[in-house]
Formats: sequence, C-alpha cells, structure tokens
Amino acid sequence: MTHLELTNISKQFGQTTVVQDFNLDVKTGEFVSFLGPSGCGKTTTLRMIAGFEVPTTGKVPLGDADITDKAPNQRNVGMVFQAYALFPNMTVAQNIGFGMRIHKEPESAIKERVTEMLALIHLEQKGNSYPAQLSGGQQQRVALARALANRPKVLLLDEPLSALDAKIRVSLRAEIRAIQRKLGITAIYVTHDQEEALSISDRIVVMFDGRIEQVGTPFEIYNFPQTAFVASFVGTLNTADAEVVDPAKKLIKIDGVSLATAEDLKGRKKGDKIKIAIRPERLNFVSVEKKANVLDCIVENITFLGSVVRIQVKIGSNRFNMDTFNNPFLELPKIGAREQVSCSHEAVIILNS
Amino acid sequence: MKRTGVIWSWFWMILGILYFFLPLVATFIFSLKAKLGVLSFLAYQQLFNDADFIKGFSYSVLWGVLTIIVGILIFFPTAYWVRIRLPQVRTAVEFVTLLPFVVPAIVFVFGLVRTFSHPPFLIVDSPALLVLAYTVLIMPYMYRSIDTGLRSIDVRTLTEAAQSLGAGWGTILFRVILPNIRVSIISGGFLGFAIVMGEYILAQYLAKPAFAPFLAYLIQQKAYEPAAATIVSIALTWACMGIIQLVGRGGTQPQIAGGH
Amino acid sequence: MTASNVVKRDAPSARPAPYRFSWAWLGVMPFFLFAFMFLIYPSSTIALGSFQDTNTHAFTLQNFVHLLQNPNLIGAYWISIKISLITSLGGGIFGFVLAYAAIRGGLPPFMRSSLMTFCGVASNFAGVPLAFAFIALLSPSGVLTGWLMAMGYNPYFHGFQLYTFWGLSIVYMYFQFPLMVLVIAPAIDGLRREWLEAAENLGASSFQYWRYVAFPILLPSILGTMILLFGNSFGAFATAQALTGGQINLVTIMVGAQLRGDVLGDAGLGYALALGMVVVMAIAITGYTVLQRQSERWLR
Repeated sequence: MTHLELTNISKQFGQTTVVQDFNLDVKTGEFVSFLGPSGCGKTTTLRMIAGFEVPTTGKVPLGDADITDKAPNQRNVGMVFQAYALFPNMTVAQNIGFGMRIHKEPESAIKERVTEMLALIHLEQKGNSYPAQLSGGQQQRVALARALANRPKVLLLDEPLSALDAKIRVSLRAEIRAIQRKLGITAIYVTHDQEEALSISDRIVVMFDGRIEQVGTPFEIYNFPQTAFVASFVGTLNTADAEVVDPAKKLIKIDGVSLATAEDLKGRKKGDKIKIAIRPERLNFVSVEKKANVLDCIVENITFLGSVVRIQVKIGSNRFNMDTFNNPFLELPKIGAREQVSCSHEAVIILNS
Repeated sequence: MKRTGVIWSWFWMILGILYFFLPLVATFIFSLKAKLGVLSFLAYQQLFNDADFIKGFSYSVLWGVLTIIVGILIFFPTAYWVRIRLPQVRTAVEFVTLLPFVVPAIVFVFGLVRTFSHPPFLIVDSPALLVLAYTVLIMPYMYRSIDTGLRSIDVRTLTEAAQSLGAGWGTILFRVILPNIRVSIISGGFLGFAIVMGEYILAQYLAKPAFAPFLAYLIQQKAYEPAAATIVSIALTWACMGIIQLVGRGGTQPQIAGGH
Repeated sequence: MTASNVVKRDAPSARPAPYRFSWAWLGVMPFFLFAFMFLIYPSSTIALGSFQDTNTHAFTLQNFVHLLQNPNLIGAYWISIKISLITSLGGGIFGFVLAYAAIRGGLPPFMRSSLMTFCGVASNFAGVPLAFAFIALLSPSGVLTGWLMAMGYNPYFHGFQLYTFWGLSIVYMYFQFPLMVLVIAPAIDGLRREWLEAAENLGASSFQYWRYVAFPILLPSILGTMILLFGNSFGAFATAQALTGGQINLVTIMVGAQLRGDVLGDAGLGYALALGMVVVMAIAITGYTVLQRQSERWLR
C-alpha cells in the first residue's frame, strides 16, 4: 500500500536543473535511503517533501492527502537536520515537547509523551539539560525524539550522522533503524555514505546529477548495479573496457584475454565495445567454482587492511583489486609473482552506460 | 520568505532610508542657497577660501594621521605580543581597551586638563597631548580591529618561520605580520581617522584649532557656509567608511565595542 | 579562547609563572604606560578630586552629599537618564527591525551592505555636523519645515520645537539606531536558518517561531545592545551642545560648563558630578558585556 508517492518531481533554480524525472512510491513503514554524491539532488528532493522547497513540477501525495501546496508547518512530516537544529534556549524536554505545545495539547499529554520519547532514545536523565551540555550524538537523538514526538506521518532525515564521529555513526544508525522499526514509521534518509545506506535501508534510491540512477534493495544495488555510476559509487569495483567476442556463447575479451559472463549479451554483436565490472571479493586465487574464468596475472601490491587483505594484480593492461579475508595461516603470494586468478561467470557484470 | 514579510521589510527599510537621508539632503540643499534666489555653490567657494577652514581642516587631517600612526605603533606590537608571548595579560589589556567607553570624553578632557596643566606635566598646550588623547579615544576600535586581524592569521607559525630564517623582531613585526593584517589596519585606521576628524570635545577644551570646533564657531557666525562644511565632513566620513568596506570586501564587522 | 589553550602551544619562555620575572613583560610595558599616563591617571584625578574637600583637600564624602542635595544636578541626571532611556529603546527597536529586515527580511543582498555602510557613516556622524544637519532640516527656516509649510502644515504651530528635549531625542536617534544595527547584525546572522525550519517543521507559525525561539535567543543581544545605546546617549555631549547651546540640562553639559568656568563654585562638587557619570557608564558597559557573553553562548 503506497504511502508516499512522488510523481514526476523536478526542481529548477533559475537555469540550473537540480532534480528531474523523480518518481518514487514509498510503502508505509518502509525505510528508504537517497544515496548519492554531493550535489546530486537528494537533499533538495527531501526538502521538497518537507516543504522547504517548492517543486517546479510534480506532486507529493502523502497517504490520501496531497501536500504539494501545503506550507511546511502544516504537513506533519518530521525532519531531522544534519546540524541537529535544537533550540538552544530550551531544555531537552522543552525541545521534544515543542511540537505538541504548538498544537496546544494538554500539559499532561506533553509530559507523558516527553517521558516516553526520552526512554525511547535512552536519555531519561537528560530531560532538564540544555543542548549545549550534550554530546553530538546525544543532541541528534534528541532531535530525533523531537521529530517523532509530534507523531509525524513520515520521518525525514537529512544526513543526520555526517557531523558525528565514525564510531558514534555506526551505533546511532543502528539505533535509528531500531526505533523506526519499532514505531513502524515511514522514513526517508539522505546520505552520501554508501555503507550507511546499505546497512539500514529497505530500499535505496541511488541518485546522480539530479536523476535516479537505480532503485532497489541493498542486495540488488550492490550485486546487480545497472549503471556504471551505481557500480562505482556503491562498494569498490574493478572496471575494464571489453569487446564482445560471441554474443551467443556470452564470450567477451579484455585485452585479448577471453572471459565468459553469465549475463545476457542479447542485442550486442561481435566487436561491440562494452564496459565490465568485477567486485574485488569475487576474485580468487584458487578456482572453487565450476564455470570459472581463469586469468593470468602478475601480483603488484599487497595491502593489509585488517580483516581484509587487498591484493592488486595486473591482468593484461588492467589493474584489478582482489579482496580476500585475512587468514594469518594462509601464505600470500610474493610481489612480482605470476599467478592465476579466477572468477565465476556470474561475477562479471556488464555495465549499461 | 512570505509576501507580507517582505512588504514589511521594505516598509521599514524605506523609513530608515528616509530618516537617514532627509537631514543630509536638507543640509545639501541648504548649502546651495547662499546666493539669493538661485542654487549655487557659492557657500562652498566661500568655505574653501576661508583661511580658518583650511587651517582647521588641515590641522585635523595632520593630527589625525599622526594619531593613527601612533596608534599602530603602540597597539600593534602590544596586540602581537599578547597573542604570542603573554596570553595571560589578555584580560587586563582588553579591560583597558574598554575603559575609554567608561570615561566619557567630557570627563576625560576634564581629567586631562587637570593633570597636564601643572608642572611637571605642563603639556596641556602642546598638540602632542591632543594626539595622545585621540589615541586613547580610538583605542577600543583600533586595538580590537588589529586583534581581530591577528586572530585570523596564524601568528605563531609565521613568527616561527621568520625566526628560523633569521629575522629579528622588527622585521617580523613590520615586514611579515603587518602586511598580512593590512585589512584590519586599514579598517581600524580609517575608522579612527573618521572619529578624529569629527571629534569636538577634546579639541575644544584643549583649545586646539581643529575642524569640529571651527565648525561650531562657523555655525554662530555664518548661515550657509556651515552647511557646506557639514557636507564636506559627511563626504569625508563616507569616503572613510567606503574605503573600509572596499578593503574589507563585505565584512560587516561592527567596529564598535564588543564584550568579546 | 582561553589562556591555557594558547599556552599549551607556546614552547619557549612564557611558561606563565606569575612570580617569576620574565623579560617578556617588557613588551607590554609601553601599552600600559601609555594607558596609565593618558587615561587612567588623568581619570583618577577626577575620582580623587571628588573625594577631596575643595579647600582643605582632606578626604570627605561631602561632595556626593551636596550632589544628591542639589536639585539642579539631580535634575540633570534625571534628564540625561530620560533621554538615554527613550533613545536607547526607540533607537534599539527601530535599529533591530531595520537590521532584521535587511538581513533576514527577503530583501536583495545589496541592501544589507548598503545599510551597513550607511550605519557606519551615521553612527560616526554625531556631534556638531549632526546638530547642524538637523538645524538645516527642522529649524524654523529649515528645508523640511519649508516643504511642510508649503503643503499647508506648520509644525511649529502644533507645538514642535527643535531645541528642546524632544527635538534632541530625535537627533540622538540618528546615531543610536545605526549603532544598534551594527552591533546586532552578527547576532541576527547567528540565528540559524535550521531553527526556523525546525520550528516550521514542528508546526509553528511565524509568530510562534518568534515568540518561542527567535526572540528568546536574541533577547540577551538586544538588551545588551540597548544598554550600550543607553551609555552612548548618556555620555554624548557635542550634539547637545551644538544644537541647544548648552541650554538643556544634561549631565554632560553641566560637566562641560564646570570645566570651562567652575559654574558650581565648588570644584569638589564638579568632580563628584563627573565621577557620577563614570559610574553610570561603568554599569552600562558591564551590563552590556555580561549580556553579550550570554548571547554568544547561544549564537555561536
């Protein structure tokens, strides 16, 4: 059941088009991330849902109401800002209760809800503190509680964790997801951090240059990227130029080295130039799968990253990264050695653009 | 920004502009009325031919410039030293720079006359006293301006780099640091200059032939020349402020005391 | 920015042990010498004189007693306070509205820088030129008076007088509201846009945003600056002197008269009068500093 339906949204500032052809159906209780680099239009789109920007074209129906023309203070969507935006002259409790106070709810109801919210974000003791006395992570939790206290229909989060330390980011994003699940509220989350998006979303909308590149579950986005941009933005990736050898047998070659792919080469003919991608973790030294491609390579560099060991190899004129899990008892090849790497047919991804 | 909000903004703005410009326009019109029945620059001609005007104006310009120089020589090294070597006196120094606000000019000059009219400090008649008094007057503005400028550059690193290359204190101060806070020096300097040019109390009560006392005298004596002189004074202030804005490139720091 | 913060990075000699003499102190001696000779010492002679009997130079509080008993002088204080209150409130409110209009009011950006320049000029304009400008504007032979009369309205028939308390108040506003604009502008800048958006997002109307968020946050700044304006007006002399020729009974005018020729006939009383001014100004500056610090906590 569609809860939020963005239809044909676009936004222009003067001559510049910042967002275009944006269509998205969001189901109730879904957690959707807008993922993309700076300037891709994700925050602008979010702000259009919130009402801080007016779409040049398109509609924003929410539930059974069309909120496109409503002022931002009449939409009942809750927003969490990157810079927390807590009111410095009010205590935590007053901040959280602000929305209800504006709607003239009775003091007793406000008090109850504030206590409920403080428990939800695990800051029961901080009700009477001022924002300046809290850490960044705590302030953001208060901002979350403030947005939720008002019982919004949709929760909007604009890069809420960007201003925080790495460790806090990891723990807080899990907390946000847990709260969202518990309350069953629809959430839209803007971020440029793909790890963040992958770990907590039901679906991800990858955006670039004002357009939607791909919409899908984290699994789909990572394993089956549809465009070169998505493939390179999400996760690390090896790319190479290739040429089609035999569309029927699904054979291609890179630098004269033959490769079989499991993807459909329908519509292409021999000699077509295409771009392929292989995830580093799909390359192995030892061939374990049937239907594997075996390639000769020279080991160029080995980097120890902790849980992962990244080995840079040269296949023909292409440099590929190979990721294997750290195993202290496994002997690693020497730099300069000639080795053989393999990857399954399914691991070779054809990029559309 | 909602429609009604913008309309109110324009309303207040126009009101402010009116209130600001009307006296200026009136003065200007007044200054053109010297010749009966026709608008002319006669008042300006008379003014610029007036020996007393030349005397008063140039006197103020001369001692104004000297004040700025003295100010830079005293405040700049001090601000630098406090920042680099003696951060613990910072509060004391900032307190002192606020004192001129606590002692209004009329009381200040009262004290100056009392102190410097008797030996051993009988310098009440010397222009040096005026310059030093003016330096005190502009201290809050100049010191603050210089300090803000120093705050915005990495003084410590610049000093250490210069020292490692063999520079002495004089070189460091005036050939390394000073050029880098040009903007603050100019802002503070022109603000101080504008203040000195318009200053009345100290000049009058120390009996010096400066511009503002001349203007006061002129008002008693002539009808239209004061208007011309006022316009000249405004134009000068405007030029100073304009230069500050130009040099500061849009930085709208109020050069007024801040309890920073 | 605390002293300890900077000291940590300071390697060589200035380990701040207050007892140990360091040659570094020599560096600030010129400044303190200058301030002492030409500000602190002269001002303290006034303070000292106010505690001395005029003839015997013995310590006494009589001067202050006489001050409080003198209706003329108390009246002068009262008038000074009155005009300062009026112009600080009026100039403060008008200045704030103007600053907000230029910065956050949806006006084109050049209005802001123009306003700042105007205010820089206007706040410096005080004194003799300002007095004359208003004479040129509103005196019986003034330009505006002429225009109004041409339109059939003579303000002087309706009780308007330039060389009075109210006339002076109008003139004082000319340098009060620009000072307000200049000082309050950074505070308005500090009013973060996200606060407005967050408030709107939670359902607040424009008025509610102002009442619960913006105004409480700005209040320390506004109050502090109004106190500054109060002090500014209280200590103003040249404008009043040039406009009214010393006829209005302000404290500054009285001090000026006393300086020129002992009109009170009692030097000690004169000093007490002057010291009273300093006390008022000190209170004002302290009030401003305290409130400014408070506002910076929220607006940084």
